[in-house]
Amino acid sequence: MAQRLLIPIGPQHPALKEPLGFRFRVEGERVLETHIRMGYVHRGIERACQERTYIQDLYLVERICGICSHIHTTAFCQGVEELLGVEVPRRALYIRTIVCELERIHSHMLWLGVLGRDAGFETLFMYTWRDRETVLDILEEISGNRINHAVNTVGGVRIDLTQAHIESILKRLDYLEEQAHYYLGLVTTESTFVARTHGVGYLSREDGRALCVVGPTTRASGVDRDVRRDDPYAAYEELPFEVVTASEGDALARTVVRVKEVVESVRMVRYALQNSPQGEVRVRVRRRVPSGEVISRVEAPRGELIYYIKSDGTERPARVKMRTPTLANLVAVPHMLKEAHIADIPIVLAAIDLCIACADR
Amino acid sequence: MPARTLLKKLKEALGEHIGQAWVPRPHRAFFTVKREELHDVVEALVKRFDIRHLSTITGVDTGEEIELLYHFWDHDVCFTVKITLPHHQPRIKTLTDIVPGALFYEREVHDLLGVEFEEHPDLSPLVLPEGWEDGHPLLKDWSPPEEN
Amino acid sequence: MLDGLIRWARRKSPWILHFNTGGCNGCDIELLDALTPRFDVERLGILEKATPRHADVLICAGPVTRQARDRLLRIYEQMPEPKWVVAIGSCACSGGVFRGCYNVLGGIDQVIPVDMYVPGCACKPEAIIDGLVKLLEGI
Repeated sequence: MAQRLLIPIGPQHPALKEPLGFRFRVEGERVLETHIRMGYVHRGIERACQERTYIQDLYLVERICGICSHIHTTAFCQGVEELLGVEVPRRALYIRTIVCELERIHSHMLWLGVLGRDAGFETLFMYTWRDRETVLDILEEISGNRINHAVNTVGGVRIDLTQAHIESILKRLDYLEEQAHYYLGLVTTESTFVARTHGVGYLSREDGRALCVVGPTTRASGVDRDVRRDDPYAAYEELPFEVVTASEGDALARTVVRVKEVVESVRMVRYALQNSPQGEVRVRVRRRVPSGEVISRVEAPRGELIYYIKSDGTERPARVKMRTPTLANLVAVPHMLKEAHIADIPIVLAAIDLCIACADR
Repeated sequence: MPARTLLKKLKEALGEHIGQAWVPRPHRAFFTVKREELHDVVEALVKRFDIRHLSTITGVDTGEEIELLYHFWDHDVCFTVKITLPHHQPRIKTLTDIVPGALFYEREVHDLLGVEFEEHPDLSPLVLPEGWEDGHPLLKDWSPPEEN
Repeated sequence: MLDGLIRWARRKSPWILHFNTGGCNGCDIELLDALTPRFDVERLGILEKATPRHADVLICAGPVTRQARDRLLRIYEQMPEPKWVVAIGSCACSGGVFRGCYNVLGGIDQVIPVDMYVPGCACKPEAIIDGLVKLLEGI
């Protein structure tokens, strides 16, 4: 009869990149129960947003997460622009979209490397992060910083793309697309990787819907949902793209979905660069935002990101609420880990693309 | 389907439960529901309309009362169900029996605003640190603890 | 003579432990970037270790939140002497943009002594390497 044990993992642990506390009740090698303790990265951002002005909040909101910083500011700016009733110039919307998709590419590549590392595939980690540097170089050239680009402002964007920028980015996109196809072949044919991810962390379509899971995690279980197509924002209405889904619902399916999304994103950036309209990149806006409430939704690399902003006519918001995709996906982790091997824990956690800084805020 | 059409369908099915309703723009709809009727309304949404995706629960302290907004996603519409709770009795029945995905959202609202969700399986702190006894940070009259 | 050898080894090959005490991950990702082919700190002898017992240098990112404070102290105490602490990023130096938030105590130096501050938001891998090199020159 196997022994029952309580195994604590975290907050500091080689398998975890961020502080998160887990307690696993195991019997032999099988996990029976998972208990999650969050809150190590809770900084109190929602309260802080009420105490600062909208422009100060922009810098605060950008730093909720260093990997998906641009999408947070996009959601925030969109919400405030809707409250103000301003129309953002089309060129600005295209630039926002281009940076959103570039961020999706770098986030998915980062994730693929981390998954590879957790599965013991250190080479994949080195390769993907080397290729990710290409995207960071592009972002540094156009915005001045590799991380926390500060591209968005209320009323538009703060940067413009010259013809030289566009040509240099297009050349590098070809390289990224080629590498993405290489990784797609790699993750589906490399037998040790497939053995570690196939059938691991299974989430059925019904459970995915009941637990309100979002993003590639749920698209890999056959739930066809994507905010970019269902509730278009920025320039997505004018960009042709496919929503990638799979039906197996395991870690391998999630990997394939994300790598295919990288290919889609490269195509979208290419299209946007070649078809972006000329014009202004920002409009001046008032400091005081009229009273009202607004819901702003975007598709972050990890899934649906939703912001609720309430204004009371002053320079400071009355309430800013953000629900990040990781919080929605964490609920499914105990379910996915039932009857799993202990060795599968890092793979399952990595496959939902955890970002605890986002979840805790 | 457009937000107005969805709202019309919901009104036809749930008529007397829906209070005020408004459609600020395409893809967005809001309507108010009485606190006691929320559970039945959400049960109808899940069982009759197959609307299961709860995006999140927002809690707002307006000063006079606490508003809870339940944001649902159905195809291309994000509609919000709004209820209000009085300050002296911030309690409401949990939705986790019909919407399992509400588990963490209710815990968070409990942490930050002090709302009690009756029959919730586990209302332990989600984001606040262990041993936090300094109140609920998102309430209007809350002030940060003294630094020691 | 053995002391000299040990000091040389410590300076030439510091083993680092990384802990995020509540940051946005920007600096953590840049630190991990330093391990990847473009910067490749492993060729300089710097190895990332998994346990505090093996590490010489503790690299901390992020402001210290109330929940993470006790864990940070425990990790610091578990590291054997001599040990050094490097605070990377503006948040670890002073609290950064989160200074004043209710769950944030401030920079790393509110809890443990810091030997090197590397500012930036997020601080670049080159800056982290520069900070480590300057720290080691003083050993």
